[in-house]
Amino acid sequence: MFLKKLKPISTFLIMGLVSTTVLAHDPNFGIGPHVLFKDGLEVALEVDSAKAGSNKAQELGVQVTYGLTGDWSVGVTTPYEFKDSATATSNGLGDVALFTKYRFWRQDSLGLQESAAVFMKLITDTAQKNKSPSLNKGTTDTIVGLTYGYEARKWYRWASARYRLNGTNNELKRGDKILIDFVAGIRPELTGYLEPDTVWLLELNGELGQKATVNGATNANTGGDEWFISPGIFWTKRNFAIKAGVQIPIASNLNGNQQKSNYRIRTTFEWHM
Amino acid sequence: MKKQIIISLLGLFLMQSAFAGETKYEMRVDGLACPFCAYGIEKKLKAIEGTSKIDVDLNKGLVIVNMDEGKNLTEAQMKKMFNDSGFTYRSMKKTAQ
Repeated sequence: MFLKKLKPISTFLIMGLVSTTVLAHDPNFGIGPHVLFKDGLEVALEVDSAKAGSNKAQELGVQVTYGLTGDWSVGVTTPYEFKDSATATSNGLGDVALFTKYRFWRQDSLGLQESAAVFMKLITDTAQKNKSPSLNKGTTDTIVGLTYGYEARKWYRWASARYRLNGTNNELKRGDKILIDFVAGIRPELTGYLEPDTVWLLELNGELGQKATVNGATNANTGGDEWFISPGIFWTKRNFAIKAGVQIPIASNLNGNQQKSNYRIRTTFEWHM
Repeated sequence: MKKQIIISLLGLFLMQSAFAGETKYEMRVDGLACPFCAYGIEKKLKAIEGTSKIDVDLNKGLVIVNMDEGKNLTEAQMKKMFNDSGFTYRSMKKTAQ
């Protein structure tokens, strides 16, 4: 019974770490303070791939974001997941997520925007059930975050912190998680408005997880810390963007017996309308 | 030769007609760092009746708009429009063409 309850932890871990919320000129894996213009619509197609030991996962997500004001955006993400645990494969609809971001501070000067935003995401419990490996985590989880961004013509930098509060399902409580990101970016060539534009990114992403509990008893083989270095690119032309990045683990301190992350790859296609 | 002169004059006349009465606005805007983010400005300006040409100079922080004859942009309108786009409007220079 205990093991049965823990099964979703290992199968969900690999994918639960992948899903974030992209928005305009934000980093690939971290978050930034970018929001959409008022009444603006963003449609994004996100392709994620991750490997941790013998577990592999791919996710295809469609995200729609709307600008309520020039500083406040809301959106929804619908993923389709593919999982492979070496002994079985599964695929199906993942958990629909709702999110909002509010930019509460903005300091503009010539060719420079500094800003800060708060972020909240609700990951519902809507994934297809009875799949093995499991697509369903059985809880509604909440992520809250704070982010700062410095965006100039040549240089970029971001910092963000998020807290993932995982729900409880049938006495199983997956450990909460803290996500920390530091990102630097450079635009090698200062291109004009309608010209193709490239920004190179380098992220440092940290994930600090607590242990899971079942009926209050701690599972020693859950939780722990992982740090990644993540090079990436942001290419745009007018209202179309392609973002891509890879997370490479540089430090891992996972508790007990767990499979370490090997890599995560993310590619995003974005349209602003 | 005569034919060439007539065609040239006709071309000049058509060009003059095309730009006659247009008003050019040069707006200083702060926060313009990336072209992708500036798209919201283009979209919002295009929604204003009479906008005929839009250009953005990111390095100088300028948004340049040509308006049809009889159509004008106001300071208050631009302040709101740029704020809704996520930028800060600073000033506007108007020149007749």
